[in-house]
Amino acid sequence: MKKHLLIIPSILFLLILSIFFYLLIIERNPFELPSNLLDKNVPNFEAESLLKNKNFISSKEFGNEIILVNFFASWCGPCRDEHIYIKRFSNEKGIRVIGINYKDSSGNAIEWLKNLGNPYSDVPIDKNGRIAIDWGVYGIPETFIVNSKGIIKYRHVGPITKKIYKKINLLIKEIK
Amino acid sequence: MINKTFIIIIFICLIQFFSNNSYTVEPDEVLENQKQELRARDISKNIRCMVCQNQSIDESNAPLAKDLRILIRNKIKEGNRNEEIYKFLTDRYGDFILLKPPFKLSTLALWFLPFIFFIIGVLIVFSHNKKSRKI
Repeated sequence: MKKHLLIIPSILFLLILSIFFYLLIIERNPFELPSNLLDKNVPNFEAESLLKNKNFISSKEFGNEIILVNFFASWCGPCRDEHIYIKRFSNEKGIRVIGINYKDSSGNAIEWLKNLGNPYSDVPIDKNGRIAIDWGVYGIPETFIVNSKGIIKYRHVGPITKKIYKKINLLIKEIK
Repeated sequence: MINKTFIIIIFICLIQFFSNNSYTVEPDEVLENQKQELRARDISKNIRCMVCQNQSIDESNAPLAKDLRILIRNKIKEGNRNEEIYKFLTDRYGDFILLKPPFKLSTLALWFLPFIFFIIGVLIVFSHNKKSRKI
């Protein structure tokens, strides 16, 4: 047996070790999954609106401009944290934001928006979570960027932080 | 004495292992038609709970898991076939929602690499043995 061949397994082992180490140190959240709806059309849905008297019909709303879709609820703590950024999107950047009210009591949701400010142009109500399932949502808050053709371009799971806020702004600029 | 308790502990563990202890499906979810209910349980066991990620929705208490269990049962009642229900779910949540990865071109390596590694291992062992016998 050639002695120098024995070095190959140790090199392979080191290689595997460095791959593991690399995956360990890069910033990634293993719980975060890419959306299966990326580059696909917005799911069609019709729902009661929290703020308006007429129903929210998705086919009428999407497809004209870039829209942020934000799943939220008054019972959801992280939604409160990200609310400041959602407001900045609509107030400072002039982006239309649609908030889908997920499994919430309408009274609480209206109160919540009164207290914290309402950044949403419309708030369709998802009483039983069926709309969220169509969007592939698995835990709110979740935020989607929909382009002017009504196609989903980005999805973020979890609250929007300062970093994500900047990232979404950059993405919106790119999409425009 | 130690041996006896040890055997009892192992025995209890084994009972846990073999009993199908799933109490998460709530009574109001269960379908009246037993055949349909069995189908629903069968599908639920293959669907990953996206919140807990290593449980099936059949075992999970998460609200989303409950929603999906009810959705599957409604789809069965509406007369959907199993494949249609799986497709409905993977269209929205991706292949990750299936606990068993599907057999596709992109997952070929996943399915076959273990066998290939096994064959390589066997070859190495055999060639090594041959060489050592010669010496």
